[in-house]
Amino acid sequence: MKNFKLLAVASALACATGLTSQVSADVGVADIVGDQASTGDIVSYGLGPRGQRYSPLSMINKENIKNLFPVWSFSFGGEKQRGQESQPLIKDGVMYVTGSYSRMWAIDIATGEELWQYDARLPEGILPCCDVVNRGAAILGDKVFFGTLDAKIVALDAKTGKVVWRKKIADFEAGYSYTAAPLIVPTEAHGPLILTGNSGGEFGVVGEVQARNPETGDLVWTRPVIEGHAGTLNGKETSITGGAANTSWPGDMWKNGGGAPWLGGTYDPDTKLAFFGTGNPAPWNSYLRPGDNKWTSSRVAINPENGEIEWGFQTTPHDGWDYDGVNEFVSFDMEKDGKMIKAGATADRNGFFYILDRTNGDFISATPFVKNITWAKGIDENGRPIWDPENRPGNPAESADGKKGKSIFAVPSFLGGKNWMPMAYSQDTNLFYIPSNEWGMDIWNEPVTYKKGAAYLGAGFTIKPIFDDYIGSLKAVDPTTGDIKWEYKNKAPLWGGVLTTGGGLVFTGTPEGFLKAFDEETGEELWKFQTGTGIVSSPITWEQDGEQYLTIVTGWGGAVPLWGGEVAKFVSYLNQGGSVWTFKIPEQLAGK
Amino acid sequence: MKTVLLLCAFFTLTTAIAHARPIDEVIDSGYITIFVYEDYAPYSFTREDGEATGIDVDIARKFAEDLGVELRILMRGADENVDDDLRINLWKGDLIHRKVADVMMHVPYDRELDTRNEFIVLMSPYFLEEVAVVVDSVELPELETFARFLNKPIAAELDTVSDFFLSNAFRGQLQRSIQRGRTFGDVISLYKNGDVAAAMASKAQVQWIAKQAPDIESKIYQPPMPGIVRSSWPVGIGIKHDSRDLGYALTDVASNLVQSGEMEAIAAKYGVTFKAPDY
Repeated sequence: MKNFKLLAVASALACATGLTSQVSADVGVADIVGDQASTGDIVSYGLGPRGQRYSPLSMINKENIKNLFPVWSFSFGGEKQRGQESQPLIKDGVMYVTGSYSRMWAIDIATGEELWQYDARLPEGILPCCDVVNRGAAILGDKVFFGTLDAKIVALDAKTGKVVWRKKIADFEAGYSYTAAPLIVPTEAHGPLILTGNSGGEFGVVGEVQARNPETGDLVWTRPVIEGHAGTLNGKETSITGGAANTSWPGDMWKNGGGAPWLGGTYDPDTKLAFFGTGNPAPWNSYLRPGDNKWTSSRVAINPENGEIEWGFQTTPHDGWDYDGVNEFVSFDMEKDGKMIKAGATADRNGFFYILDRTNGDFISATPFVKNITWAKGIDENGRPIWDPENRPGNPAESADGKKGKSIFAVPSFLGGKNWMPMAYSQDTNLFYIPSNEWGMDIWNEPVTYKKGAAYLGAGFTIKPIFDDYIGSLKAVDPTTGDIKWEYKNKAPLWGGVLTTGGGLVFTGTPEGFLKAFDEETGEELWKFQTGTGIVSSPITWEQDGEQYLTIVTGWGGAVPLWGGEVAKFVSYLNQGGSVWTFKIPEQLAGK
Repeated sequence: MKTVLLLCAFFTLTTAIAHARPIDEVIDSGYITIFVYEDYAPYSFTREDGEATGIDVDIARKFAEDLGVELRILMRGADENVDDDLRINLWKGDLIHRKVADVMMHVPYDRELDTRNEFIVLMSPYFLEEVAVVVDSVELPELETFARFLNKPIAAELDTVSDFFLSNAFRGQLQRSIQRGRTFGDVISLYKNGDVAAAMASKAQVQWIAKQAPDIESKIYQPPMPGIVRSSWPVGIGIKHDSRDLGYALTDVASNLVQSGEMEAIAAKYGVTFKAPDY
């Protein structure tokens, strides 16, 4: 761990540059709940705990976006690069940003200079499955929090970067990891709580959401998301998830069912519910686990007061395609047929865009947001998929004669119609802006593979683009009808989050290295800037000293470069990096 | 399944901090790094005093002795499949520390596995793996077929060939009877504590289970396993493709161990009957 400077120095710098906003006030939970409306800071992942990624700021708008230029660029440095998927936080003129390999920095926004850096010491023996990313921090009081690849959560002093506490979320030696931004929620019973979901290898893992006291890191409640496991509250056992074991799993398979809620959650201050998505079930071979396998590939609404599941909705019951259900659930109020509905939306890996009643999980609608979906013929009126049995991967046991099994082509690929990258919802257009990918996968049974030195039945697969000229597709979707209002096509798969603003703009980054701005109504590309490496993170915007700032973290990586296949030719030339780029309209151009 | 195609991805090797080395480099440096799996008794595991031990570790020790170098054991867990393990432990290194070994023990000697891992050569098959069942002969005096487990519990390690076979056997009718251990140690406990009267694993592993449960009158069976992916396969060593000379030298060491009867003695230390692969 390094502490280059203390905030005393930062304050001096701030005074020197005449910043008044650096009169430091601790972040309260009310600031987090009201984050979306307060444009002077960003104290939550998603620009507000609902995760709408909408800022009302309009100083940068369709007319003057051409004058947007970088103010500074900050390099993460070191030999460690790989994917940078982080969304920074902003408070009192300081930016808190996490990077690959479980690192974090505090940066003076006025100058772009580093205030402190924290490097987690990662033990030998962690084998993260996908990449060494981190998606962001949480902030409360005088502390910043983030999770590390060895499945720990760390609280740092926001002024110095020194460790206040560090707690184990799960055992990295058992294959667990942590990459999501923690979620801070208010409760009446316990005060603010910090919520995390575990992540890790697919087999033998039981998905769980944990709530801790942000002051001490002590556990308050736990909620396993797999049927049959008991939750805890203040160290005592509470209810059993799903009521009992074995109602939707065979034998003892619920004991190791998967379902890790690894992407974290969102919170709706209106219904006072926390929403977490859950991973796909284990084992991968669906023939071994007849039943719905609850609550894998689902969204669950948890009451933060006691950790009880208020409702669950399974997007892919009895998953056989590796369609994680972790994608974010975004609360919004929807006017449909003259009525206001307390709704929530999620764009699933499985290619369907779901609208649910967020008060009770009732299904409202599901429409495809990617093309040529094959795994299901549609979603029925109860929200269940109408499976196409022809396009479920075959049972590996049937290829035990030593031949390669039948191959099927499933759309979307297991990387999903949409992966982890968060969508945005505009309160002005009432449209969702969904970063999606048009790809499928061939899956076949391998005659023999090996695991830990022993013969094993596995599947082979390869991801294939659906179209010759593009995979990535940013779409504007009307949640009341599912209609796609416009589409921007991108050659490489999109892997970064989206931001929409009161200035009528939609921002996202591309693996080709461009940060781009689109017209929210038409999808017309209005502005772009080449950052020098791929973008797989989520942009933010805020106001400081009367000016609107925009920031994006850059650095190519994440899961896409790991999977090769025919996708490789779309991305193999992209270079790694690791920087923060901050933009504003220069004074000389303001008003032009 | 996610990692099957990893090898097609485009990694450059130039940045690797440590790399697997040809024999001259190994001898000049005075040490050899050999990978073994953790929690993989009786092949490789950590004793209570912290010392690495097991059949593979003993063979690795012989390798180092013969070359006249110090042995450094790299013991790590298994990833989703052996292809991943070859990548992580031999040619590319792990994502965090980029540490690799010169040699990897216990790699199935299989032509297809060899072909699809272009940076690796598989050599020196030194042991024949078989699948078997250990039973408490008081509880289960006979074992002709797996139908016996329609209403008798049987333990298997989660996500292994045994788990797969039992899950699929008789159209899933054994599902209720399988007690899955999260680790091999859990399987041993289930058997030792009498929670199950049988456990399925590799033959060496079930012999090890029997040795750990001296109070139980254990018998080992290999009943017909219709539909099993493989009921036996040879294991050998993995070497990086540009370190073949090291592989040849170690192949000689391994053949000498087999011929001199030392291999048999090593296996016997762990209660395991050595069986040389026939190829």
